[in-house]
Amino acid sequence: MIELYQALAQGLLIGSTYGLLALGMGLVYGVSGVVNFSHGDFISLGMFMCLALYSALSLDPYVSVIITVPVMTVIGALVYRFLIRPMVGHQFLMVVQLTLGLSLVLQNGILMVFGGQPARTPSVVESKLFILGDVVLRAPHVIAFVISFALAIGLYVMLRSTDFGRSIRAVHQNAHAAALMGIDVGRVQVLTFAMGIGILALAAALLLPGTPIQPTQGLRYTVITLLVVVLGGMTNFVGIMLGGLVIGLAEAFGTIYLQPPLGPLLPYLIFVAIMLFRPQGLTWSSSR
Amino acid sequence: MKEEFYKTLSSPILWGVLVLAALLPFALSSYYLHIVTLALIYVALASSWNIVGGMAGQVSLAHSLFIGIGAMLSSALLLKLGINMWLGLLISAAISGVLGALIAWIDFRFRLGHLSFVLITLAFAEMGAIVVEGWDFLGGASGLLLPKDTGDFLAFQFGGGSGAFWVMLTLATVCVLASVAILNAPLGFYLRTIRDNENAAQAIGVNVLRYKIAAMVISAVLASIVGTAYVRYLTFADPYLLISPVITIEIVLFATVGGLGRAYGPALGALLLVPLGEVLRGQLGSTLPGLHYFIYGVVVIAVILATPSGLLPLLERQWARWRRPEPTNAGPDAN
Repeated sequence: MIELYQALAQGLLIGSTYGLLALGMGLVYGVSGVVNFSHGDFISLGMFMCLALYSALSLDPYVSVIITVPVMTVIGALVYRFLIRPMVGHQFLMVVQLTLGLSLVLQNGILMVFGGQPARTPSVVESKLFILGDVVLRAPHVIAFVISFALAIGLYVMLRSTDFGRSIRAVHQNAHAAALMGIDVGRVQVLTFAMGIGILALAAALLLPGTPIQPTQGLRYTVITLLVVVLGGMTNFVGIMLGGLVIGLAEAFGTIYLQPPLGPLLPYLIFVAIMLFRPQGLTWSSSR
Repeated sequence: MKEEFYKTLSSPILWGVLVLAALLPFALSSYYLHIVTLALIYVALASSWNIVGGMAGQVSLAHSLFIGIGAMLSSALLLKLGINMWLGLLISAAISGVLGALIAWIDFRFRLGHLSFVLITLAFAEMGAIVVEGWDFLGGASGLLLPKDTGDFLAFQFGGGSGAFWVMLTLATVCVLASVAILNAPLGFYLRTIRDNENAAQAIGVNVLRYKIAAMVISAVLASIVGTAYVRYLTFADPYLLISPVITIEIVLFATVGGLGRAYGPALGALLLVPLGEVLRGQLGSTLPGLHYFIYGVVVIAVILATPSGLLPLLERQWARWRRPEPTNAGPDAN
């Protein structure tokens, strides 16, 4: 039973961060129909920026976000403006291939700068533990959980009640109609993409303490994010957070209860099973 | 329709190029022969991927699975159970074909749409990588070392060097000719209608499921066979190379740079990019690991932004302009 509670707790904590990773992708898909296959490599980029700041200035990853979030937001805006916008409206698959190319550039750019050795970025909270009865929680996971959910709720409120949020939803529902109503669709798309990448810088810092990082890890994060987004129904906020928790739980249960190679397979098996019975995702949304 | 294929097959240019290419081992140093052999492997892989990815418009990221099965399973069967690698090749090709059919069926059965197809195939590729890395029978994370290639043809050995080169030349030719054949056969027309508009294709009576499965199975079987030959050439079944989704991404990018859906496009992309990558790796690999992939990525982004349909159509346009310097008025069929 202790194992069960442990797996539940760990899965929910990590799953919340997966949800956060996926919210950015879902938002971008909603307003510009772009699926970014270099998503995970931007997470890598965020993590390695924290590593660089730690090596140069001994900044704690949680402090580095003051620098990494704005920098990544600007990078996101530039990438959208100069690489992705020229392809919007072209065949969907060309954008997939473009972002796959971008993934190679980012991954190997990082490799060229930092080398291939796995690295770690320590944090003051890294070895702190919360003990609830028999369940032991690592402080970075708890912090990640709290911030992820706070941010998800903040984004939700932003979408509901600010002008920018309303224009995002308008573009999502119908870009043409939104343009006719005087919304600058291009601007909304750039800002959403930039915001999506900025969130990744934050998520990267949350995932970082105690996790060994490698330049080639990006693709796995992309895959996890995609699983979550599709499970959640692409643009559905609640669905995406739920999808994150499902994948996080599957990962935790797989690690604790099953032997390799089966353990790490569990999230994928659950994903395929859910897709077989609910191809539209966990929630009602019919977006594909 | 088929005439086009027979015309290609009886073309003196094709046979001339092949004969000249077959003489390369006598002219090249072993370093350059290795580069050309690698380029041919990727010509074969990119061409086989193109059958489903380019012609049918189904961007499959599952091809590392088929390559990996061809490579890892046939090696494991040889080393762990003593099964001859020719037989191993057939077994792994059959399994790849079945898996390909299964993936195509899942895609069709649930009308998953483009994005979900990319994702389902990527999920299968990741699962394949996890299984191989976690299961010692298939080599685990450390891989499998094949016995030395002594040139015993009956044991699927070709003597390395020039022998391997000829095998790869044959496989590359088979894959490219298969593409030409499919493009000129009814299957090719059906695949293109599916790519352009799946619903319309179904409405006019194209059996979408049947042709999608056909494309995926042909593509998977070819990729698997090339995988077996590739691992025999490498003599080391490296899970991080052969079953990592990165190999699929490379192939997709070669095909995109050359020209998707064309018979010779993927071959052009691989012939340009693989030697570029290898030379860069040879020159700078030790000082700057990752540089050649970095440059692949930059080239791909540049080509997609400049000419989204790839380099081959661009060359064809240039060629047409060179032959007819007068700019022609846009006729009813030009757009």
